[in-house]
Amino acid sequence: MISEKKSLNYVLICTLIAIMVITGCSKNNESPAGSGTSESTGESSGEQPATYVLGDQPLEFSFYGHYDWYTMPNWGEDLATKWIKENKKVNVLPVSSGGNAKQKLSTMIVSDELPDVIWMERGADVEKLRSEGMLVPFDDYLNKYPNLKKWAGESTLNMLRSPDGKLYQFPNWYTSQPNGNAGYLVNKKIYEELGSPSLETTDDFYAYLQQVKAKYPDVVPFEVGQGAEGVDILSSAYAENRPYLFSAQSMMAVPVGNELTSVFKDPSFRESLQFANKLYREKLISQDAFTQKLEQVEQKIVTGQIAVYAASSPTEFGAKGNSALKAQDPNAGYIMVWPIHKAGLDKTKIFPGDFKQLGWNVNVITKNAKDPEAIFAFLDWFTGPEGQRTIMWGPEGLYWEGTDAEEAPLFTDKFTSDIEGRDALMNSTVNFQWNGNTVYVDKSKSKFESTLPPEKRSWETFWQSEITWKTQFNATEYVNLEPAGDSDEGIISQGVTEIYEKARAQAVIGAKSEDEVLSILDQAEKDAQKLGYDQLLKFKTEKWQENVSKLKQ
Amino acid sequence: MSQTSIRTARETYSKPNGIVRLLRQWDIQLMVLPALLFIFLFSYVPMYGVLTAFQDYSLFKGFLGSPWVGFKHFEMFFNAPVFWDIMRNTLVISLLKLIVGFPAPILLALMLNEIGNRTFKRTIQTISYLPHFLSWVIVSGFVLSLLSTDNGSLNILLQKLNLIEEPINFLSMPEYFWGILVTTGVWKEIGFASIVYLAAIAGVDPHLYEAASMDGASRFRQMFTITLPSILPVVIVFSILAIGNLLNAGFEDILLLGSNPILRDVSDVLDTYVYRIGIENSRYSYATAAGIFKAVISVGLLAGANYVARRSGNSLW
Repeated sequence: MISEKKSLNYVLICTLIAIMVITGCSKNNESPAGSGTSESTGESSGEQPATYVLGDQPLEFSFYGHYDWYTMPNWGEDLATKWIKENKKVNVLPVSSGGNAKQKLSTMIVSDELPDVIWMERGADVEKLRSEGMLVPFDDYLNKYPNLKKWAGESTLNMLRSPDGKLYQFPNWYTSQPNGNAGYLVNKKIYEELGSPSLETTDDFYAYLQQVKAKYPDVVPFEVGQGAEGVDILSSAYAENRPYLFSAQSMMAVPVGNELTSVFKDPSFRESLQFANKLYREKLISQDAFTQKLEQVEQKIVTGQIAVYAASSPTEFGAKGNSALKAQDPNAGYIMVWPIHKAGLDKTKIFPGDFKQLGWNVNVITKNAKDPEAIFAFLDWFTGPEGQRTIMWGPEGLYWEGTDAEEAPLFTDKFTSDIEGRDALMNSTVNFQWNGNTVYVDKSKSKFESTLPPEKRSWETFWQSEITWKTQFNATEYVNLEPAGDSDEGIISQGVTEIYEKARAQAVIGAKSEDEVLSILDQAEKDAQKLGYDQLLKFKTEKWQENVSKLKQ
Repeated sequence: MSQTSIRTARETYSKPNGIVRLLRQWDIQLMVLPALLFIFLFSYVPMYGVLTAFQDYSLFKGFLGSPWVGFKHFEMFFNAPVFWDIMRNTLVISLLKLIVGFPAPILLALMLNEIGNRTFKRTIQTISYLPHFLSWVIVSGFVLSLLSTDNGSLNILLQKLNLIEEPINFLSMPEYFWGILVTTGVWKEIGFASIVYLAAIAGVDPHLYEAASMDGASRFRQMFTITLPSILPVVIVFSILAIGNLLNAGFEDILLLGSNPILRDVSDVLDTYVYRIGIENSRYSYATAAGIFKAVISVGLLAGANYVARRSGNSLW
C-alpha cells in the first residue's frame, strides 16, 4: 500500500518535471523576441521627429552576423562601444549564429523571429529576403542622413540597388580607392640569410623554395594556408590583369572578351595548378594543405616556421608574427614582396587580389525592427567620421584628440608610444566594424603614417601602402554573379562547385605528374558540362553585363 | 480441433484481460506517460515535416503555402550523378562498421570476463569507455594531428623506426579513409558498447561453469559452449538494431575527418549529402526526399533482420 502511494508520488513528480521542462523551454524561446518588441515600441511611440537625433532617446536593437565564424562581442565591454553606449545611448544585443549560420537564419525566418539587423554577404540571400518583403528600403532616409550618400557615392549605391530600384543594403568597407591585403609574405630572416635573392618570377620563386628546403629542413618553404588558398593566389602570376578571383571557387568563371568562360579551360588556372602540383610533389608546400586548421597555419606563421606565405589577407598573421619574431630577434620578422609573375609578363599588371567598390558585405534592416529609421541613423553615424574614429581608435582623448579640416583624427603621442594598448583596443573592436568607411579610415591612417619615421610606422599600413594597395584589381563589375541556391542555375552551381573542389584537390595533391593535372582538369570540364556548366556561365555573363552597364551610368 | 478452440478461447479471454490489467496497474503505467509524451512531441509531431519532400518548400511561404510537386525531388535524387557513389559509400562504410565494429565489443567483453584481477579489469573497463564521452570534434582533432604529415606523431614514429622514408599523407589518400574512419569509431565506442555484453555475461548461471569444469572443459571451451550461447539473445537483439542502422554510416565523424575534397569520392554518404544540400544550399525538399529514401530502406532492413531473427526465437517483435 505504502509503496504504491510512493510510486504514485514519483509518477506525479516526474510528470510535473516533464511539464515544467516542456513549458519552460517554450517560454524561453519566446522571451527574447517578446521583450525586444516591447522595448522598441517604447522608443518609437510618441511624437515622430523629422529626423532621428542619435542620443536623444535610447536606441536598442538586435544584431545578427550571418557567418559561422562570427561571434559578436558584448556591446559596451570595450572602450569604444562603452563610449557609444554612454554618449549616444545605443545598445546592441548580439544574436549568435552558434557556428551554424545557415541553419540559424533558416530557423529565424521560419519562426518569424528575424533580428533587427542582419550583417551578411551581398547577393542571393539578400535578394531572397528582399523579394519576400522582409527588408526595409533606405531610400527615404538616404537624403536625411548625410554620411552614406557622401562617402559611398552614387555609383556604389546604384550597384547596391535591388531589382526594384530601391536600396536595401548598407555596405561595409565600401571604397573608391584600391584596398585589400592579398599577396606574398616572406620570412625576413631566412630571406636575408639566403642572400636576399631576386623573387620576381615564378622561376625565381621555385629556386628560392628549393634553397629554403635544402637549408631549413624544418621550415615549410611555401605555406599555402587553409584549403590551399595560396595556390589560388598563385594563379594571378600567369596572366596580366587577372586577379585570382576569376578561378576562385566563389566565381569559377573567367572573362574572355565579353563572355565568362570555363575555369577548367583557363590557361592561368591550369598552369598554376601544374606548378602547385610540382611544388607539392617536391615537398615545397605545406603537405597538410587541405586538412590543416586555420589555427595551425597561424601558429606556423607566428613562430616563423614558414619561408613564404600567400593568402588573400596574409597581413593579419603577418603583423602578429612580425612583432612576435622581432621581440626575440630584431633582425627577424616578415616582409612582403611584389607579386610574383611568370617571366615575360609586366609585373605592374599582376594583381593577386581584388577589391570591389561595394566593399565586403552589407547590413540589412528587417521589417521586424520597430524603428528602422533610428537604426539607419545610427548606422549612418557609425560609418561617418565620428563613428569611424571612435570604433577604430577609441573615444577622443585617448589615442587621438581633435580633428583636422578633413575630420581626420589628430593622433596623440600615446598612439605611437603605447602600441600594445592601442593594438589591444583595436583588436577588441574589430568585430564591431560593420560598415567600415575605407576611404576615411585609410586616409586618416596614411596621413598620420606619412609623418612618422619608417621604423615607427605600423607594419600593416606600411606594406599596404608600399605593395598591397597597388596590386589589387577593381572587380566591382563581377559582384553578385551567384544564382540563388534553389534555382536551376544554383543547382548547377552547386554541382560544378563540387567538381571544382575535388578536381583542384586532386590536381594539387593527387596527381603524379603535370600531365595528369591537365587530364584531371579536362575530365572536370567534361563532368561540369554534363551538369550544365554552360547554362551557369551564361547566367553569370548576363549578370556581369548588367553590372557593366550599371557602372557606366 | 481442440487446439484451435483453446487458442480462440485464450484470445477472447486475453483481450478484456489486457485492458483490465492495464487499468489495474494504472499507477505504474502513468510512469511511462512522460516518456510517451516526450516521444510523441519530439519524434512524431515534427514528422509532418517529411511531407515537404513532396513540395517545393520555401522558407518564406511555409508548409501550407508551398506548392505540391509529387515525386519530383525523388526522381532528381535517383538521377543525380552522385547517387550511386553515395549509395556505395554509405553501404560500404556501414558494412565495414558492422563487420568490424559490432563484434569488437563482444570480443572485449569476453576478454575482460577472463581477467581474474578485479582492479585490473575495472581499470581497463574505465579507460576503454572514456573515449565514448569525448565529442567527435575532439576525437577528430586527435586523429588529424596524429596522422598529419608535418609533425604527425604516427609519421614521426614510423620514420624513427625506419619503416618509411617520407611521411605518408594519410589524410589525403582515399584508400586510407575507410580504415581510419572504422578504426577511430571502434576506438571511441568499443568500451562503452561492451558494458551491455559484460552485464549479460554477469547474468550467466555460475553453476554452468562449475559443471563444465567438473567435466574437464578448458577456459576456451567454456567461453564457446557456455558464455557465448548464454549471451546470444542479447547479441541477436543488438545485431537487429545494428542492421536497422545500416544506412546510418555516420555523420559527425565523416564530416570532421573527411572534409578534404579529395576524399569526397569515398567519404560522401547519405547523411553528409543531405546536410550539404539541405542546410548549405537550402534545398530543403530535395534533402528531405533523400532523407525519406534512407528511412524507408532502413525500416525495410530492420524488418528483414527481425524476420530472420524470429526463426531463432530472439526477435524484437
